[in-house]
Amino acid sequence: MANKALQLKEEGNRYFQAGDYVSAEALYSKALIADPTNSMLYTNRAMARLKMELWESVIADCSECLKLSPDSFKAHYYLAQAHLPLHNYDDALEHALKAHEICVKTGDKSLAAVTALVLRCKKERWDYMEKRRRREHSDLESEVLVLMERERDEALTDPELSDAEKPEIEAEWARKIETMRTVFEKARTNSDKRRDVPDWAIDDISFGIMVDPVITKTGKSYERASIMEHLRRQPTDPLTREPLQISELRPNLGLKQACAEFLEENGWAVDW
Amino acid sequence: MSIQFATKRLGKELQKIQNYLPPGIELVSADNFEEWLVDIRVLDENPLYKGQIYRLKFKFSSSYPIEPPEVVFVKLADRPIPMHPHIYSNGIICLDLLGHQGWSPVQNVESVCMSLQSMLTGNTKNERPPGDEEFVRANRLRPNQIDFYYHDNNV
Repeated sequence: MANKALQLKEEGNRYFQAGDYVSAEALYSKALIADPTNSMLYTNRAMARLKMELWESVIADCSECLKLSPDSFKAHYYLAQAHLPLHNYDDALEHALKAHEICVKTGDKSLAAVTALVLRCKKERWDYMEKRRRREHSDLESEVLVLMERERDEALTDPELSDAEKPEIEAEWARKIETMRTVFEKARTNSDKRRDVPDWAIDDISFGIMVDPVITKTGKSYERASIMEHLRRQPTDPLTREPLQISELRPNLGLKQACAEFLEENGWAVDW
Repeated sequence: MSIQFATKRLGKELQKIQNYLPPGIELVSADNFEEWLVDIRVLDENPLYKGQIYRLKFKFSSSYPIEPPEVVFVKLADRPIPMHPHIYSNGIICLDLLGHQGWSPVQNVESVCMSLQSMLTGNTKNERPPGDEEFVRANRLRPNQIDFYYHDNNV
């Protein structure tokens, strides 16, 4: 049975490569009937379903895969991508980070792609929160305005008020409303203004914000995926050209924390 | 390394240099992420280069900046090839920074232009590299695939 499953999988791979994801998915399904214990069949089908944008099914497949092999890089990688369009930002980020961790541990070549995915998760989560925050603020502004207008109208209907005093009261409320609007406007432009990315957060190779900075002997930090790519080709320090091995890189935990906190507040910076 | 990597990095470089470039360096065109044109001139009174503007062509592969860009001078009616013992008359530049050994991914378009500026500024010899004619006639290699022998480092 396992043999038949592998055969079906190979056939599915061929369809997948040709861009026929529907046929590939059907073949992976057949393979799974033949051998439901092969965790890789689940991630293969998830990959096809990802292309077909069947997000819920991708999640189901990856969950099955993780039951069989909890450290599957691909399962976490696809899960992150399926959770994003469903707006499950926390789940997406969690799985992207897990995929990154596994990638670093196993020295997988997909590190650059996973790093980009982590950043995308952070960016989309920030975009979503920002949009919500803006909506809340503008709702609040309208609400405050209605309350103020009601208060003003009440003041104006006071029977003890003489006609001469009315314009005065109206002017006073107009001024208050104007002030309230300015305060809200200021808050808006302030959040639009923070558009500078500090140099310490930027990797000098990819020019992106760092997700997993590692430090070299010279004291300079780079994104792990970037410097690994360089060192695989040429084992020298990018600044000094002195010999440098991948094994000499050390994580820069303080900087990692700082970058994560910066992105938390400034998700836009992913695409600065 | 994916194509996206080079595109992203170049997008950010472009954003940066559209904002600011050091004096004597001017972006001419960057319509895509494969080829950019930049004009440079030297800032001092070096009589070899005074009053001249030179056109550089950058070509980027999908592995940029892990791999160096290909950088050559381009000859136009008003853009000569600067006279220098490390610059061939067809525009090919012999600079270790641009070779596979000397390149580093922390270099960028701006830093390459500045290196070339200072390479010109520091030169006093009104001559081409030895064997220029023969090289220009015979060479079929891409500029960044040529393993130059850096025979003299004090020019």
